[in-house]
Amino acid sequence: MNILDPTFFAIQFLNGLQLAALLFLLSIGLSVVFGLMNFVNLAHGTLYMLGAYLGLTAVNLFDSYWAALLLAPLGIALLGAVFYALLLKRLQKESPMKQVLVTFGLIFVGFDTVRMVWGALPQTIPAPDVFAGSVTVFGEIYPAYRLFIIGLGILVLLLLYFGLEKTRLGAVVRAGVDDPVMVSALGINVDLAFFAVFCLGCFLAGLAGVAAAPVFSLFPGMEMSVLILTLIVVVVGGPGSLWGAALGSLLIGMADTFGQVLFPEFASVTIYALMAVILLLRPHGLIPARVVR
Amino acid sequence: MIRDPLHTPLALALTLLALAVWWNADFFGHELLAEVAIFAIFAMSLDLMVGYAGMVSLGHAAFLAVGAYATAAMTVFLGWPASLAMLVAVVLSAGAAALVGLFAVRLSGVFFIMITLAIGQMFYAYFFKSRPFGGDNGMSGITRPDLGILGLDANDPVVFSAMMLLAALGVYLLLRVIVRSPFGHTLIAIHQNENRLRALGCPVQRYKLAVYVIAGTLGGLAGSLTAQHTGFISPDLAFWTVSGEVLIMVIVGGMGSLLGAASGAALVILMRHELSDENTWQLLGLPGVMSHYWQFVMGIFFVLVVLFAADGLYGRLTGLLMAARARLTPNRQREDGNVSR
Repeated sequence: MNILDPTFFAIQFLNGLQLAALLFLLSIGLSVVFGLMNFVNLAHGTLYMLGAYLGLTAVNLFDSYWAALLLAPLGIALLGAVFYALLLKRLQKESPMKQVLVTFGLIFVGFDTVRMVWGALPQTIPAPDVFAGSVTVFGEIYPAYRLFIIGLGILVLLLLYFGLEKTRLGAVVRAGVDDPVMVSALGINVDLAFFAVFCLGCFLAGLAGVAAAPVFSLFPGMEMSVLILTLIVVVVGGPGSLWGAALGSLLIGMADTFGQVLFPEFASVTIYALMAVILLLRPHGLIPARVVR
Repeated sequence: MIRDPLHTPLALALTLLALAVWWNADFFGHELLAEVAIFAIFAMSLDLMVGYAGMVSLGHAAFLAVGAYATAAMTVFLGWPASLAMLVAVVLSAGAAALVGLFAVRLSGVFFIMITLAIGQMFYAYFFKSRPFGGDNGMSGITRPDLGILGLDANDPVVFSAMMLLAALGVYLLLRVIVRSPFGHTLIAIHQNENRLRALGCPVQRYKLAVYVIAGTLGGLAGSLTAQHTGFISPDLAFWTVSGEVLIMVIVGGMGSLLGAASGAALVILMRHELSDENTWQLLGLPGVMSHYWQFVMGIFFVLVVLFAADGLYGRLTGLLMAARARLTPNRQREDGNVSR
């Protein structure tokens, strides 16, 4: 195994890109909620897991991966709406400690709910037929489905970019990140925009769950490692920032993939160290969402 | 500050209760009592930081792991006696806390939560991957102190649980002295208004670092004791959910009260123990299979406590007593109020 071997490098690069695409889908929702509403949602990983399991049920019911890819995230968005109405409104005014601990409690509830409903054994969703095969990349066989994940990540990034830059909701969200009080003073319902964004973030977490399912197996506890990686992406990139989440996902995806291959002993440690260093030097992340005053 | 009238009577009552439980406990009772005492130490050490200085850490488990791994390494690899290993483990934890604290105390609020979480997970990742420490399998064969001079055997659960209770009492008394000292009052002041303290010329960073080191040291002591208790350690000790759980213990009992933190630890551990026992559920007339899903119940309990009872058991109890006293002696209460103002 040599990093200089171009084929090996290309394959690892694609693996890193695929992880980055998943991390992007996960982190953008968490990031916007963190940056926009100052709310740390530790249960975001649980939404990812529930998305994957809802996808499993949808595949079993409709025998179609594409139905699962659409329906499961919608279910998670609905769950997010309920969560927003019941808890988030109440928690938004509370201290970060309370937010963290309430969502920490929800992790346990989600964990056991999955065990009750779907059982504790690892399960999997087969890749859709179109992408079930492999393609040849740089003379190596590479699963087509992983390329699909990369494409999905890029598509969502582009859609969100145009949504933020070209639509009215996007303008409200950008203004809301910058100065929520001023935006409400202008007579715009910021809370409604935040609600929409929160549900969209949940939708994307569910989407990530279904998209990841054919690559990683489903088991109660799958949310734990993902949650921490996602938090790292958010902090590294800059809470509330689209390009920050994209850059953070790319950095962490690559660092994790290449680190696991090249220095398996230290890879996981270096990612956490990277997060700690960035928190110290740039608490608002690499690409801050608002001008740091 | 109003003097807390409940404190000393409650401390005595809790000590007596612990003694009574110890006297009547069976084999498993002593095991459980030792666990409660160890986590009471762990929760009190976190409470000094969270409840008094207002520094909410989500990485306190790192020091539990450092203390435990240091104890394991020195008893298993070097064959040192457990008492010496414990001493060195505590010193090492202090060193680790000083190193981490140097960076962590620069941040506050949600960023402090995040950096302690990241650093805590860094310790977890290190222990998980490290081959000398057994990776994800952990280590076993950790010994307990030799009490031969006293004619006692620490491997006897009765003796060991008594040792842990004494340790918890010692840590409580130590922290009580710290909390009531000018140092402790400065911590509370930093919690209440950090900017004002800074304006008064108080080196806030240095105080925060000191608290972080004290909390980490005592957390390491709890880790060393838990390694001796179970004789086995694994990277799970450092996992961030352990840090979250101990934070919940502090909240359940009541932040900013050492007795509260200790009773919170006891409550959470006993709940976990009872809820994962089939007999408890059958006794309640529910199917015993519910015991598999005890985390569901604990999770809901955590959410409810944080939402509706954030002043904890101790806060509730003090509040009730104050209200009762005010009703009984309305005039005196008003005088008290004037004095405290």
